[in-house]
Amino acid sequence: MQGWTGKILDIDLSSGSINTQPLDKEMARLYLGGRGLGGRLLWDLVGPEVDPLAPENVLIFTTGPITATGVQTSNRFNVSTKSPLTGTLLHSNSGGWWGMQFKRTGYDALIVRGKAPEPVMITITPEEVTIEDATHLWGKTVFETTEALGQDRNKRNVLCIGPAGENLVRIAAIMNDRERALARGGPGAVMGSKNLKAIVVEGDAKNQPADKDQFKFMLYETRKLLKASPLTSQAFPEFGTAVVLNAVNEIGALPTRNFQQTQFEHAYEISGESITDKILVTNQACWACPITCTRLTKTSSGQEGEGPEFESTWAFGAQSGIDDLELIAEANYLANDLGLDTISMGNTIGCAMELAEKGFLPADLRFGQAEKLHDLIHDTAYRRGLGDDLAEGSYRLAEKFGAPQLSMSVKKLEMPAYDPRGMQGQGLVYATSNRGACHETGNMLGPEVLALPRLIDRFATQGKAGIVSVHQDSAAVVDSLVYCKFVNLAVAEEFFARTLTAITGIRFTADDLMKVGERVWTLERLYNLREGFTAEDDTLPDRMLNEPVADGPSQGFTANLAPMLEEYYQFRGWDENGVPKPEKLQELGLADLVAVA
Amino acid sequence: MLVKLFGNLRQHTGQLAVTASGTTIGEVLQDLCAAYPSLEKAIFDSDQLQAHVRVMVNGHDIELAHGLDTPVSETDQIAVFPPIAGG
Repeated sequence: MQGWTGKILDIDLSSGSINTQPLDKEMARLYLGGRGLGGRLLWDLVGPEVDPLAPENVLIFTTGPITATGVQTSNRFNVSTKSPLTGTLLHSNSGGWWGMQFKRTGYDALIVRGKAPEPVMITITPEEVTIEDATHLWGKTVFETTEALGQDRNKRNVLCIGPAGENLVRIAAIMNDRERALARGGPGAVMGSKNLKAIVVEGDAKNQPADKDQFKFMLYETRKLLKASPLTSQAFPEFGTAVVLNAVNEIGALPTRNFQQTQFEHAYEISGESITDKILVTNQACWACPITCTRLTKTSSGQEGEGPEFESTWAFGAQSGIDDLELIAEANYLANDLGLDTISMGNTIGCAMELAEKGFLPADLRFGQAEKLHDLIHDTAYRRGLGDDLAEGSYRLAEKFGAPQLSMSVKKLEMPAYDPRGMQGQGLVYATSNRGACHETGNMLGPEVLALPRLIDRFATQGKAGIVSVHQDSAAVVDSLVYCKFVNLAVAEEFFARTLTAITGIRFTADDLMKVGERVWTLERLYNLREGFTAEDDTLPDRMLNEPVADGPSQGFTANLAPMLEEYYQFRGWDENGVPKPEKLQELGLADLVAVA
Repeated sequence: MLVKLFGNLRQHTGQLAVTASGTTIGEVLQDLCAAYPSLEKAIFDSDQLQAHVRVMVNGHDIELAHGLDTPVSETDQIAVFPPIAGG
């Protein structure tokens, strides 16, 4: 079975048992890997009775059939679990080197169950798997832990949590390769709840394609397309992901001061252009990636690190009313070192600032207080003072202080850097995303702003449901193979199918892949329904629905969600309550799952 | 009127914001290219905009208005973006 190793490593930290189980071939064909395989395994392992921070929750690390083949961006991997922030199914993926290296140890996936009595770390090589004491690492930051465990880019890779994960912060990330993150939804807290500090991988097994000649051809063609696209060959290397900040601001969709405004008057000072002008040292790449979007930056105080990416720049910048690029970059370094989701951290800080300004939160906190970023982030990771409330995420914070409407979140996951009032389709993406407000599960930035692949009216609602659904299914495909989504800017599903065919020896078409995407999306929906979520949870914050934008290019607009949602359910083959109809489940091969639910 | 040039388009003008005149966006951009000749290749492909180049008037993409024939006035804010992506 080429593309897949056919083996799942299964570790129970409660008993210390280490087992290997075979990967079901049919499951691999239907769900591919990454997010799809992780979600399918989670369906069987974690039911609605399980608290996300209980030993019965699991962490499932998954690679895909393309991982470690050397095809462009074949470095990524996924983690699936039940989220301690949202209570939904959670999938999160990351780049770097760790995913490639884990695959090279000879496994497609790793299931971690139970809870170790004391802090431990896992080491995986092709020869052996060990669970060792990690008491000496507990309390160390991500950077300290990564260095202590001997991170070596192409040979030995470290995945770990920082203090935030240890302290069960609900917005804690799992970090890999020092500054890469499985961030959204709090997987770091799940890892912390298991007393698992780190997973080190060192492998040498090759993921050899079934058809070497065709694979080489696909590598060549993919390289050609990535080079020909000005997006992947110029825009990302020159300015990184934050280059879109000015465009999102220009159209009046850059959330500012906790989404009270949609344009930030200091947007240019914190944009990708300014990062390049002021703090960029060099650009870097993940394993097997020619795009090189990563920013290595250094501030005048001598601090250096990766990023900030667009979302992090926004979260610690416009969302918090802060225009000091150097302090934003340093906030990003700190959040990475402590193991926090920068989107949720910055969004929650912005929420706290509005709560304080409006008198709900008794704290000396105002928008624009850049000097407070460091302490707020630090205190969140260690749950000190106000940080203990921030550690619960914006929804629980705002609810505790009597103003849940000021949490800019969906299903308790903080919204990222696009205001749905200026991008109606993006609002539908947030409202229906299975892990809560998330742009990565079907980002409409392309069609609604950048004309990728073509421009549609960002204020229109009619017809958006179909476009959003296709984007969501496509993202699920990319997350299951696992590619980087930026490749998809130059390379279409047809190419993915041909490459996958060359790797696995199994014929896949673009239609087959899109069916996988729909299957994965629907499975996630079923999971959340089983957890008790309903159509009522497919919504947006009251501010988005009822407060028109006061000025700028999006002036007068609210998020007109209801008609899009109705159309969305119909397009997806779901009933008016957002429940997939039996014939849709039959079509996707999911009917058996519901029968046993 | 004020025209902001983002990303690597700034290299052609040496600054973020410059002024240009015209009654349509096409005329404004031609005026700009006359002042900064190297800009023409970066923005135009023959008489059309380069693929992925976005031009906005007051935050609205001209593709959904009248393209290069979109009328403009002195108080309008124009933004020109080279091919970009992110998120």
